[in-house]
Amino acid sequence: MHLTREEELILSGEMGPIKARALEVIVRVGEALGAERLVRIKHAHISGVSYANIGDAGAELIESFSGERFAVPATVNPIGFDLDKPGAFGVDDRFMEGQRRILRALKRMGARLILSCTPYEIPGALDPGLSTGDHVAWGESSAVLYANSVLGLRTNREGGPIALMAALVGRTYYYGLHVPENRVPSIEYIVPEEATRDEALAGVTGEIIAGMHGDQKPPRIKGARPWSKSSLKALLAALGSAGAIGMAHIEGVTPEPLPGSWKPEERVSVDPSLVRSRLEELAPGDPGEVDLVFIGCPHSGEEELRRLASLVKGAGRPRIRFVVAIPRALESAPHLRALIGELRGSGIEVVRDTCIVVSRLRGRVVATNSYKTYFYLKRRGVKVYLASLDDLVALAYHGGA
Amino acid sequence: MTPKARFKGRVLVEGAAEGEAVVVDSISFYGDVDPETGAIISSGQSVSGRILVARRSRGSTVGSYVIYALARNGVAPKAIIIGEAEPIIVAGCVLASIPLVDRLPDEFFETVTDGSIIRVSLDGTVEIYEPGVKLE
Repeated sequence: MHLTREEELILSGEMGPIKARALEVIVRVGEALGAERLVRIKHAHISGVSYANIGDAGAELIESFSGERFAVPATVNPIGFDLDKPGAFGVDDRFMEGQRRILRALKRMGARLILSCTPYEIPGALDPGLSTGDHVAWGESSAVLYANSVLGLRTNREGGPIALMAALVGRTYYYGLHVPENRVPSIEYIVPEEATRDEALAGVTGEIIAGMHGDQKPPRIKGARPWSKSSLKALLAALGSAGAIGMAHIEGVTPEPLPGSWKPEERVSVDPSLVRSRLEELAPGDPGEVDLVFIGCPHSGEEELRRLASLVKGAGRPRIRFVVAIPRALESAPHLRALIGELRGSGIEVVRDTCIVVSRLRGRVVATNSYKTYFYLKRRGVKVYLASLDDLVALAYHGGA
Repeated sequence: MTPKARFKGRVLVEGAAEGEAVVVDSISFYGDVDPETGAIISSGQSVSGRILVARRSRGSTVGSYVIYALARNGVAPKAIIIGEAEPIIVAGCVLASIPLVDRLPDEFFETVTDGSIIRVSLDGTVEIYEPGVKLE
């Protein structure tokens, strides 16, 4: 791999052993992949920080790097519990201490502890402003897809430790989605009109596309109508969990223009009846057995909270536990704080810093509008159903879909 | 002592090692290997002090931390030989200082068996000896 003089100096230990080790990881991984050089990044988003997943070894590893500060702004993914109410997440003292060690170490390095998978929903989290074409190193597949497909940033799906190392040295390997030609789509998928307005249908659409798309190039996605932000998030999160995809080129959304001569190599229409029947397959067979409704994967932003508030207004209180996960930072905006208060008033439990996928928050039978949640809980043997937000509200507040 | 076969792979993390092979088709460190004991959960075989040979790897990026944990707990493999190394494994091996070699020919994977004695050299040469052989 070709290294600049400055990179050689870092690697030789001129800037200390921590940066040398961090750069060695990046260089070796880059070499394994055949990258010819490194690229400077402007931001990192670090995933894989839940003590439940990385344990004492992960905590120790992160601590061993914490004698240096990050070279670029860095944000952090959710953890295993809401910092204000760890007890509600079934965490013991050991877990809490392990998690706090990880957070202290990240903070020493200068991380912004947003503890959210949606840095793009948080005003100021990506400051100083990033613009289309900027290189970043993000972990968390749903955020990676959002960065590449919606924000026009350039990132691979970095593993947690690699994003951490990249943040320390302000560089990552120039490979994959950092390279412009790898961002040009190949196969075009025409998606059903309803998918652009409904998270559950968008998620199932994402699953179907991920199952068909064997190509290394991003899929091109064409919808009949403009996407709602929440459907877009659901589609991208599904593409990221059901497949190894890191970017989708979406009509009317992705800021990068297609090359003038671009034509799809193949055009596939995703059959609306296939999407609907797949969702029916995943819908609650017996709504009565559901004891937890979960939304907020990826974390809900303003748009989702407003819609939820309008759906539950005047509906009384839910007859089953209803949880929504959000980034804590939303509470600092007065108008959102009022909105969140309204939701709480309607009997909705609002959790911050965490989500159902990275915590021990569980129900006997879970219903969600998030395909990603469905995908991960199912794999862990939890009984889980997928349904649209309207149906979930009907189920929780009126006892039936 | 003459090896049964000798191959050349690509060195990703440099190091020399000798030991008994533990051969698996595919490995995902997170969920497949107990970081406390080094046991492969499905088979009960241990990777500790052995040369781990896997055709493929898959799975979560937490795998890097598991590899690091194995080393910290003193139950890491002496070296890892894999078909094609993914970022997760490369990062884990660099952090844990475990020699890592990939891109060996198919013939290597056809020849190596559980218990084969393996010698990994600094230049990526991998030699296979019969099980039970004592190397000097």
